[in-house]
Amino acid sequence: MRARSAVAALLLLGAALPTTAAASPGSFPSGSNAAELVRNFWDFVAQGDDDRRAAHPKPQAIEQAPDGGPAVDLSDLSQPTALEARLKPALTPKSGPIRLTVPGGTARLGDFSVGSTESVTGPLLVVQGDADIYGRLLGNLVTVDGDVIVHPGGLVTGDILALGGDVRDLGGEIGGEIRTLRSTTIFAQPAAAAEPPPNALETVFRRLAGVIGVFLTLAALGFGLVTFGRTNLEVVSDTVSHSFGRAFSTGLLGQILLLPTFGMLVVGLILSVAGILLLPFAVVVYGLLVVVGALGGFLAVAHAMGETYIRRRLALGAVLGSPNSYRYLTVGLGALASLWLAWAVFGWVPVAGDLIRGAAFLVTWLLATTGFGAALLSRAGIRENFAGRLIPPEALTDEYLWATPQFGVPAARRPGGTRTPTRGL
Amino acid sequence: MRRVVLLALALSLQTGVAAAQEMRPFTTFRQLHGETRLHASLEYAAGALRVAPGRPTELYRMDLAFDGERFAPISDYDAARNAVSLGLRRGGTGGVRVVSRGQLQQSANIAFAPSTELDLALNLGAVDADLELGGLRLASLDLQTGASRSVVRFSRPNATRCRSAELTSGAAELSVVGLGNSRCDRVVVEGGVGSVTLDFGGTWSSSARVNVRMAMGQLTLRLPRRLGVRVTMDKFLSSFDPAGMVRQGNTFTTPGYDRAERTLDLEVTAAMGGVRVEWLEGGGEKE
Repeated sequence: MRARSAVAALLLLGAALPTTAAASPGSFPSGSNAAELVRNFWDFVAQGDDDRRAAHPKPQAIEQAPDGGPAVDLSDLSQPTALEARLKPALTPKSGPIRLTVPGGTARLGDFSVGSTESVTGPLLVVQGDADIYGRLLGNLVTVDGDVIVHPGGLVTGDILALGGDVRDLGGEIGGEIRTLRSTTIFAQPAAAAEPPPNALETVFRRLAGVIGVFLTLAALGFGLVTFGRTNLEVVSDTVSHSFGRAFSTGLLGQILLLPTFGMLVVGLILSVAGILLLPFAVVVYGLLVVVGALGGFLAVAHAMGETYIRRRLALGAVLGSPNSYRYLTVGLGALASLWLAWAVFGWVPVAGDLIRGAAFLVTWLLATTGFGAALLSRAGIRENFAGRLIPPEALTDEYLWATPQFGVPAARRPGGTRTPTRGL
Repeated sequence: MRRVVLLALALSLQTGVAAAQEMRPFTTFRQLHGETRLHASLEYAAGALRVAPGRPTELYRMDLAFDGERFAPISDYDAARNAVSLGLRRGGTGGVRVVSRGQLQQSANIAFAPSTELDLALNLGAVDADLELGGLRLASLDLQTGASRSVVRFSRPNATRCRSAELTSGAAELSVVGLGNSRCDRVVVEGGVGSVTLDFGGTWSSSARVNVRMAMGQLTLRLPRRLGVRVTMDKFLSSFDPAGMVRQGNTFTTPGYDRAERTLDLEVTAAMGGVRVEWLEGGGEKE
């Protein structure tokens, strides 16, 4: 309101100045014009104040609460937010007028002033009104949604707290601390009622959407990995298939050592002094490597699962489309998602829902740990030592496979020349 | 059309964030009633903090903008002891907020009367602090910082003699600028992990002893050439460049140390990291 008044006054000034200039071009405004201008300005400001005061309720005393009713002690104002929390329920009764007891003091609603010859003893609470102090207030003063104005000659011996207002010292004396919390939540409109908890069907749909979203994202990442890093993915996947226990142990150890390794990296860089500059980059790179290792490993596990399943189906004579890494990954991720989908559908069932979630978490962690371990063992798919690939694929030519004796007899040196790629056979 | 939709979406998100992250303004101050001494204790959990000399008519003032859901202001004056506690502590029921740094802009401006002797103790958490103590009547200083970035300045000479300044930093970046203006008889600096910069520029009115203990990190000493400086170094896995000082065992002295009118005795213990010396010319300018 005050801001609106000030804007209106400025507009008035803007409108008045050209008029004055036009009335006496080339000369300064006369004294009477200037005085009138200032008077008009203050009239507007005062009118703004009156408007604001009009919003305050009619000045009246707040009745004391009956025994056991709300009471707020104003002897300690050092914790304004705590006091605000205590005042809120007392000043916003669900029904009827405000009733509040201020031990040893006074509570007022609307504007209140202490006259220059008056003296008020004990703490004073003024609610939704300004407190004008011309005389003496021997105690603390609290206003809620109103200002405190201490006029020349006015005295407040205690502390002042304005909740949702301001303290204006126009030349009075204030013995204690002045505290101002310019916004108050006491009379703020209550926030919209919290949404009721979703029912079982809504919960199921939300969880389904979440699970599907996560696994679609994983599928997208996996397809990217197949497209751009197929060899590495296959090596990690083979490491999972051929060295599952070793990969799990390595993954577990890797998880345990993640933090100490990080600490050693940081300390090492700091010790090297010059390395301090590299520290932020090293931290980011380390974090990225861990994420890539865990995520890539998890996708490799899905790949391995899908590959195993499809190969078994093919061995049983099932007619499937082309067995490729995309299909392996899709099937593997589908299998992994099935547990979480089960949780999404039956998670609302007491006890059983928690058990399904626990099982899904445990299996996911187990496989992610294995995948992480396989990624570590295979150096992100660079090393094939644990992948069951004793002979590089390039060496598996038809001639080699046909001519190589089976029982440890050294094979004849393979003639050079063209090689027949047999990968995928 | 797409741009309009994106703009509308961005604006709606911004409005939502602003509404959810509203800071509450809080002000506290006390008129000066002839107090000659003040023991001030500042506890500040998180946000930006500025400390500076204030109005001569006010004993102290704190203007604060804080997250009302997670923090509560501290403002308590004990007239019997002439002691005030100010700051911001964790509280409320909002839990831990995970937001970008820009969305949590708590700030505090704290000022003290320039005419009152001040014993100042600060305990800072995750804080970006700028403490301008020049121009105050600082009788003692005790600064403890956590994961913070703190700059302590003595841009003007301290108006009274300071008994001691003790500065302890955790995982932090601490700079003290113009220690010559502090007029502290004894300065103790304990650095944890991070970097500490001690600038000994300013107007030296007497000799001083400074004790620095660094655990891990970089210590930079900015020393005025006009002072006689002696550095007693006790280091382990640390590097030290004496930068022209003469070595005698563990002691490094400037060539004119014995004849200098004002001397600065530094005892440095560095566990891991480096100690670097930079020279300041007469006016305190870095070489």
